[in-house]
Amino acid sequence: MILVTVGNYYKGFPRLVEKMDEIAGKISEDVTMQIGNTDFEPRNADYFRFTSEAKINELYLDARIVVCHDGAGSMLTALKYNKPTIVIPRLKEYGEHAYDNPADLAKELEREKRVILVFDVNRLEEVIRRIETIQITPVKDRRLVKSLRECINAIDSER
Amino acid sequence: MKIGLVCSHGGHLTEVLEIIDAFEGHDVFFISYDGLRTRELEYRKYLFKDLGKTYPRSILMLTVSAPMILGILLKEKPDVVVSTGPEIAIPVFYVAKILGIKTIFVESWCRVKELSLTGKLVYSISDFFFVQWEQLLTKCGKRARYGGGVI
Repeated sequence: MILVTVGNYYKGFPRLVEKMDEIAGKISEDVTMQIGNTDFEPRNADYFRFTSEAKINELYLDARIVVCHDGAGSMLTALKYNKPTIVIPRLKEYGEHAYDNPADLAKELEREKRVILVFDVNRLEEVIRRIETIQITPVKDRRLVKSLRECINAIDSER
Repeated sequence: MKIGLVCSHGGHLTEVLEIIDAFEGHDVFFISYDGLRTRELEYRKYLFKDLGKTYPRSILMLTVSAPMILGILLKEKPDVVVSTGPEIAIPVFYVAKILGIKTIFVESWCRVKELSLTGKLVYSISDFFFVQWEQLLTKCGKRARYGGGVI
């Protein structure tokens, strides 16, 4: 199953949802889409707008590939479950983002070979078809939890 | 200790849930936005209508929300408030500062090269200020520290 997520952002992401619906009509693999505030409703894929924490985590876990917008939450969850992740940045010029989006995080994650970054949705089908051949390096770093715990302990001991 | 976690209902919530182990053993509550995922959080929670979206509406919403946030913090009396952003952290941190509550701001994982506007606005009043990318330290003052990333 290919999971598509566009997050909770107040703007829709029809460019991605429409293209993935078109691809879903051409391939045999199931496509499930979280479409958020996108008006367009897919015809060839299962879709829903928002769901519970448990359900979305289950979908990420079950997915073979994740295709998502460049939101930190979507990318973080996909990486947490070690999924091959294709990221399409929301662009202001298409009304998908309120501001000019530098997509710094997605670019940095691509530089580290942790995600595949695709700006042109017309390239999506080709990237999905050859995903097995692309090298991706899942990296996990839990240091922040340790840093915060030390910080909380320091405050606690000062009380 | 009692710890207030402050975030929106999307990606910032995902970041908070990823670091929530750091607050194990403490009494935790949430200040966030109303949404499917925040409604089912198994913690005490205070949920606002999304205050963000675009200026200038958010400035107005943040100002209007300040008295309610004061009420929440007076009732809960947390020892610390922790936020990964976004804008809801601004009124919470300023009210917390007035009440003498410690504040920890964790700049969002998505901020690789520049601080968020929220980060800039709470930087000087945060007791602890973390960034998740080492290269971002060059854009902050000495108070900021790099403590690793959320993943």
